[in-house]
Amino acid sequence: MTGLFAGTSILEFGGGAAGPVATRYFADHGATVIRVESRQRPDFLRVLRLTPDTPGGLDGAHHFAVLNANKLSVALNLARPEGVAVARRLALRVEAVAENFAPGAMAKWGLDYASLVRERADLVMISTCLNGQTGPHRFYPGFGGQGSALAGFNHLTGWPDREPVGPFGTITDSLSPRLAALLLASALLHRRKTGEGQHIDLSQVEGGIMCLSEMIVTYTANGELLGRQGNRSRHAAPHGVFRCADEGRRDRWVAIVVHDDDDWRRLGRALGDPAWALDPGLATTTARLARTSEIEQRLEEWTRGRTPEAVADLLQAAGVEASAVEDFGDLHEDPQLAHRGHFRPVQHAVLGRHPVETHAIRFSAMAPRIDAPAPRLGEHTEHVLRDLLGMPADEFARLRDAGVFE
Amino acid sequence: MGGNLDGIRVLDLTGEPGFLAGKLLGDLGADVIKVEPPAGDPARRRPPFWGDVPDPERSLVWLALNTSKRGITLDLSRPRGRELFLELMRRIDVLLESELPGQMAARGLGWAELQTRNPRLVHCAVTPFGQSGPRAGWRGSDLTVSALSGNLYATGDPDRAPVRCSLPVAYYHGGIEAAVGVVFALLAREESGRGQHVDVALQEAMVMPNIGSAAMFQMIGLRGARAGAFMRQVNGVAREIWPCKDGFVSFALRGGPARVPGLVAMVQYMGEHGMASESLEERDWKSHNLNLLTQAEIDDLSRPFAAFFLTKTMAELYEAACARNLMLAPINTAREIVASPQLAAREFLVDVEYRGRGSLRYPGAFARTTSAHPEATRVGIRRPAPALGEHTAEVLSELGIGSTELARLRAEGVV
Repeated sequence: MTGLFAGTSILEFGGGAAGPVATRYFADHGATVIRVESRQRPDFLRVLRLTPDTPGGLDGAHHFAVLNANKLSVALNLARPEGVAVARRLALRVEAVAENFAPGAMAKWGLDYASLVRERADLVMISTCLNGQTGPHRFYPGFGGQGSALAGFNHLTGWPDREPVGPFGTITDSLSPRLAALLLASALLHRRKTGEGQHIDLSQVEGGIMCLSEMIVTYTANGELLGRQGNRSRHAAPHGVFRCADEGRRDRWVAIVVHDDDDWRRLGRALGDPAWALDPGLATTTARLARTSEIEQRLEEWTRGRTPEAVADLLQAAGVEASAVEDFGDLHEDPQLAHRGHFRPVQHAVLGRHPVETHAIRFSAMAPRIDAPAPRLGEHTEHVLRDLLGMPADEFARLRDAGVFE
Repeated sequence: MGGNLDGIRVLDLTGEPGFLAGKLLGDLGADVIKVEPPAGDPARRRPPFWGDVPDPERSLVWLALNTSKRGITLDLSRPRGRELFLELMRRIDVLLESELPGQMAARGLGWAELQTRNPRLVHCAVTPFGQSGPRAGWRGSDLTVSALSGNLYATGDPDRAPVRCSLPVAYYHGGIEAAVGVVFALLAREESGRGQHVDVALQEAMVMPNIGSAAMFQMIGLRGARAGAFMRQVNGVAREIWPCKDGFVSFALRGGPARVPGLVAMVQYMGEHGMASESLEERDWKSHNLNLLTQAEIDDLSRPFAAFFLTKTMAELYEAACARNLMLAPINTAREIVASPQLAAREFLVDVEYRGRGSLRYPGAFARTTSAHPEATRVGIRRPAPALGEHTAEVLSELGIGSTELARLRAEGVV
């Protein structure tokens, strides 16, 4: 491997999205990310859709495969003291440790920061869980769905006259790995300059709430509770998503945003200056905010017979902000994502050739690379323990035969 | 006062899409200097205002995500402003901006120019679609970049349009992504001695929130579908957001080893209130798999849960969830968040003092660190959001601009 983090290894405990997505940033720039896994307690993404007929069993999970490319997998049964001892040797050898178990799990094995730092003073380690490592609710169990509800994202998503909905993918499951990557990278920079390590406690709920600072200060300043506004904005109108011509059985939509009065005049011209758009009573944002429903209805009458791509192209050419609403399939034909190389193919032993995603950053002097598919469970146990840890062959064989690598 | 980014000096030219990026770097200890035009950032003129008093120093959109920054004004459209900006470029580590591609270059302030002034500079641009490509020139904001991510299509009620979160989530994703890019570039500079350009696209940043579903399309063919307060299962939909006595809670009837103990505990809890049906109490939860049930069976199973939640408040249900390990969460508003005992125990909310305006309660440290020198790794708000031009004299004098020079710049309207 080459790249910014060539020679840097990160040991990863845990599963799902919130932990493992964070280390992908480093893996895509050359870090050796080593996942510690076990057949006894597999990552839930490996078993999410597992049936007795799943080809490849634990190694055939699509969801695990798309999130864990570029990593190595070491199988260690942490219910066995020998397994814990090997994990400890690895933790003391690598450049950083990342974990997203429930609080207390790492301490139970003696793999927590307080235990490890006694033998490695400059250890860098990050722990992320829903509510953080301290406080009365630290053991509260949950996935991103709960994180998103607790942090306020669900309350803000949906229509004012309806019940809240879940933002797809939960939002906290994607904000927290990004924050974890930032914290871990900043800790590595700090160590590089000072020689000092640290432990980082990232609460996924707190990270989400920090992003929603506007919601919090609007309440603490004015007692006002921001709520669901559909797609409308308090500052601009129209600001919405409009139905286009269906494509077979697919519903198609276009998003249109008019930021100010100049945009409004440009929109009218692009539509051929229909009488309703020339109404002087709609010339200002304040006026349009008061008559948004009427404008939305008129606009949708116009978009209904068109494709979203045609509407977006026409309006963008006229200097008005608009874009098609794309589904997961459309993204693979999106010219801008293709230009940036968002999807990268890998060859997986069970799943064959499939795309994985990289992050949204393009650097002028280094490029993200995806060299390997997600690992099979325990695929790299021998390589990591023998080559990286220097474990003698007889010890490796003894542990293997004793079932420590299950 | 240190932090992991102690000693890093950042010039932050961004508008709303980039506010969070600079705040994060500041919360990690960087010296972040917000640069505004003399009239102030447009966000300062947007409601809601603190105390409902329309005033550029009271816009809550501005105050929310510009903490941990100092502030100066500078008119980049004037030749002298541009010169001063180039002078500042020699003395900083990071430039953050969110201009549309080509706009900085059109003013002679593009990466090529800046790089010659300061080869160690990290120049990070946050834009809707990135610096190049077929849509580089397109306009975009939270709603339109989310539209092109797959995430919007899959969010909302099935009988209505795809719907966004009412606060700009794309800016939060993109802001963190930009901060990651900056720190990666700073790490690379430690090796190479050179800075680089960092190009962050909001559209692309909004694809990852689908948590793999975008890439999985090629394998499983699912384009995404809106299910509102429900979640799609193999044979139908199951409720995940339920009305309760005073609001809503999130709770799933999905099975699997991680969730079954919570389902069993919930039925026990309902039983204690005489609200678990016999069939619920006798159900074999170990083999429970929502994907094997018909819609009618899912509806039957759901009914007693729906009835029970209506008898309890969000606070009662969450208290029980924490005590009994139920995977249930309240659909919190700011009111519940501000009153949270967990956040209180972690001293997460902090009061930030604004001279002459009082104090404002904020979300504080987004992470906690333990280290040999805790102050050297502290994360959290360093200072209030700056008043317009509050630190102009201070910053320019640190950068070697004397008071006579400053007076002339003021007279010319450059600062």
